[in-house]
Amino acid sequence: MARTQTSESLGWRTRFDKFQRRAAPYVFVSPFFILFAIFGLFPIVFSMYLSLQAWNPIQGLGTMRYVGLENYIWLMEDPWFWRSITNTLWIAFASGIPQHVIAIPLAFALARGISGFRHPLTAAYFLPYITSAVAISLVFQTIFGTQFGALNQALIYLANAPWSAWLFGGLAENLPVNWLGRAPYIKPAIAILVWWQFFGFNVVLYAAGLATIPKDYYEAAEIDGASARQSFFHITLPLLRPMIFFAVTLTIIGNLQLFDQPFILTGGTGGTSQAGMTVAMYLYRTGFEWLEMGTAAAISWLLFLLIGTLTVIHFYFFGRSGLESRD
Amino acid sequence: MTKFLRIALAALLIGGVASAQTTLTVGVFEPHQDNLERVLDEFYAAHPDIMLEIRTLGFGDHHDLLVTNLATGSGAADVVVIEIGYIARFIAEGGLRDLSVEPFNADQYEDLFVDYAWAQGRSEDGRQVAMPTDIAPGTMFYRRDVLEASGWTIDQVNASMESYIEYGRHLQEMGVFLIANAAQVADGMIRSDIPAGDGIYFAADGTPQLNSERFLQAARVAKTIRDEGLDAQIGAWSSEWFEGFRQGTNATELSGAWLAGHLANWMAPDTAGLWGASVVPGDTMVSWGGSFWAIPTQTPAAKIDAAWELILFLTTNPEIQLAAFRNIDAFPAMPATYDDPMFSEEMAFLGGQPARELWATVAERIPGVLTHQGDIIAEEIWSSALGEILNEGRDIQAALDEAQMLVTRRIR
Amino acid sequence: MRPPATPFKSPAADTRTGRNPVAQFVLYVVLIALALLTLFPFYWMFVLATHTQSSIFSAPPPMWFGEFLDRNYQTLIGRLPFLRNIWNSFYIALMATVTTMFFASLAGFAFAMYEFRFKRALFGLLITSLLIPPLLGIIPYYLIIQYLGWLNTPRALWVPAMASAFGIFLMRQYIASSMPRELLDAGRIDGASEFRIYWSIALPIIRPGLATLGMLTFIGQWNNFLGPLVVLNQRESYTIPVALRTLQGQIQTDWGAILTGTALAVLPLLIIFVFASKQVIEGLVAGSVKG
Repeated sequence: MARTQTSESLGWRTRFDKFQRRAAPYVFVSPFFILFAIFGLFPIVFSMYLSLQAWNPIQGLGTMRYVGLENYIWLMEDPWFWRSITNTLWIAFASGIPQHVIAIPLAFALARGISGFRHPLTAAYFLPYITSAVAISLVFQTIFGTQFGALNQALIYLANAPWSAWLFGGLAENLPVNWLGRAPYIKPAIAILVWWQFFGFNVVLYAAGLATIPKDYYEAAEIDGASARQSFFHITLPLLRPMIFFAVTLTIIGNLQLFDQPFILTGGTGGTSQAGMTVAMYLYRTGFEWLEMGTAAAISWLLFLLIGTLTVIHFYFFGRSGLESRD
Repeated sequence: MTKFLRIALAALLIGGVASAQTTLTVGVFEPHQDNLERVLDEFYAAHPDIMLEIRTLGFGDHHDLLVTNLATGSGAADVVVIEIGYIARFIAEGGLRDLSVEPFNADQYEDLFVDYAWAQGRSEDGRQVAMPTDIAPGTMFYRRDVLEASGWTIDQVNASMESYIEYGRHLQEMGVFLIANAAQVADGMIRSDIPAGDGIYFAADGTPQLNSERFLQAARVAKTIRDEGLDAQIGAWSSEWFEGFRQGTNATELSGAWLAGHLANWMAPDTAGLWGASVVPGDTMVSWGGSFWAIPTQTPAAKIDAAWELILFLTTNPEIQLAAFRNIDAFPAMPATYDDPMFSEEMAFLGGQPARELWATVAERIPGVLTHQGDIIAEEIWSSALGEILNEGRDIQAALDEAQMLVTRRIR
Repeated sequence: MRPPATPFKSPAADTRTGRNPVAQFVLYVVLIALALLTLFPFYWMFVLATHTQSSIFSAPPPMWFGEFLDRNYQTLIGRLPFLRNIWNSFYIALMATVTTMFFASLAGFAFAMYEFRFKRALFGLLITSLLIPPLLGIIPYYLIIQYLGWLNTPRALWVPAMASAFGIFLMRQYIASSMPRELLDAGRIDGASEFRIYWSIALPIIRPGLATLGMLTFIGQWNNFLGPLVVLNQRESYTIPVALRTLQGQIQTDWGAILTGTALAVLPLLIIFVFASKQVIEGLVAGSVKG
């Protein structure tokens, strides 16, 4: 860029240039922080304030009434709140643990057991993760149908077919299962869906973790005559620990906030006897169906506390070893 | 230039016509849509300047959405229908126009309606917030073919709750279920013998009644039916439930008269002629549903005249009240219609029975039931407690005591 | 923090090939069976989208395509302003994607290329913000949107999503590993302004990373449910997931129409995934594995 400049304008330019150079990084990062202040930070502070109020939005902002810790105390004594907590934990564990138990060997098998089709298989497992939870839940609602659902049809077939009856025959008298209508089956149904939607994501995470393990380890083990099983338990698992720790953390945080899947599968109600009502759903219903905004805000803080506590426990028991073995 | 003028004139004219036309959005839950669509022509003939746009949602979604729309002051339809379970709550929370004042002056129509329906649409401070459109006498539908095969008569079946259950035991031997779900029997029983002045779930003074003898007894009877295997254990409004009606696997169903409309219109039209209607066992007169029309405060002032025209058309026009009765079995909230010849007409779907006469008798004898703003949540808590009693074998007293406590907490 | 490894170039791979063909065959059968099981609901969704309500609810249920797709689609647009709903979803996702690509790369550029006061603190704050559960602010978010008068408008959803912390983090990592500092200095010597350097030098280099971020943002917004559920309560303003939800609640539910709707909701993502599955997977993993 060739420019002809008078000395006067040069001074102005230099000063501007210096200024824009110094200001640039701040200007560049500012959009995020402005938006974060409005839509991230302020809501948190405000929700804390709101959780100490009794308020129904129909009557306008002026009707807010300070009630201290009443919302929290009320929730602590609320059977539905506790039910939603146990539901959430139940679903979180029942869908979460199998996710990892299956994803780790699966990632190992993909990385070391086979020689081709690695990507198409991974992509197939991963696909549910990127699809709309609402769309998927609607499809699963038909899969879980009592009389005509694919799952019951398959189970009935397996229970009666000669080759599989030895394994599934015991189910026969309980079939067909009313997955979404009967309280004891709602949580398993939700857990199956959540498991299905997220195990592939963990497979990919563990594949990334496996990629960081130097192949010499395996070669050395092979020379020593170790079997695939032995290298899995003595090399892969220990070295994968940081990734396991990380992936489990993500599962905890995600599963405790479960909303879309139970909301759709139970038609927004939580199902028979609220057996499928998660904390997130209870929060939604309290705020937007019963219009108790203060109580709803208190639920969000208690949920935050629950997530925090479980994460800290997880860090305490698994975090140190997980982080130590990290290079 | 002349061309331009002509175009401008045309545009003006079109604009003028368009502005004279008011488009009203009407928010309903099923099956009100079925009825509205069939009376549309008549409405348009009387009001060529009003266009209707019907927005249908499921029962729960319709009301939940209305809650948020009224809370935010935007998004609600111009005219909305409200079911009886929600009416007290909407009246208490506000967001609906007072129809007693100008330009509506609804109070002049008070005498047209069943007393308690009118009262249910009115706030404590005397504002008429909603216009009653239908009430719902409770009834028992039964399969005539099954009854005949059993050798029983309907009078034997519905003589008492005990004889009803006895009929179920008899059906069991024939391989037919008495009812889709025992909970329906309990739901019928909590609606009967309500002390004068009380509501289904709340006494006149607002105390919840969920562990009162009425509820305990209802739960006990339902549990007997369940424990003896007399019900099909199918949840209402599930696809299995619909299928049960089509296949005739369930011999009876307890409900509001409006269920006949669902059955005939879409649930099981092929079973026409196979059904009959009687009073609920024990000769009990119960009210089971009902709905109201209202105008949200947020409906623009320019539209409220049209909105009111629509409501008057639907609620005060005897022809239309009767049309709704014919179309979806929504029982008129307007007693003046009860001597219409239509009431003695034979209903093909119910095997030629003039069932409307029966429902009218029930309707006239139903005591006014008080509504409470906690009705809908109490209903959810009750049905979840009942579910635990029936499915999970929970102790009746314990379950209902907890339900009582939950409702008390909810209405704090 | 180090850039995350990609899952597909495992140094440990390929060493065991050729050993025990029977075991490998069995493994393939298991892995493929699991993949088919995973894909089955998608297949079934497309199959059911072409059937009537009554054949969906029949035993055995249909397993091959029928001929009622058009009828189902007509039912769908008869019950909902569905084209409008698709447009809303698309518009919101697109606006969020374009703005996020711009603001996130801009901020990522600043965090990767500059040394400035409070940089560490600001970056720390950014990372911390990722840990806040979105549910914590959902009630106030609704109140803010109401206060701004943005209820039932697309901007209620895309404006708050304009600059995601996740996106900035992803961009910072990408720029730090792919753009040499010297280019910054070279640009300055040429007299370019800082923004010019970002626009003319950095952007072309990070194009692949930017594309990944764009796809991830689009997918996330397209699938978003709770946000629209809370701030959109008028059917003309619904996005696809919320619109489908309203059909589900009706007792005369037409499942053929619903599944046609879900198929339409899933289709765009399937197309993206078919063409760019590696990029999407790697981007999502890179974003979660924070080094």
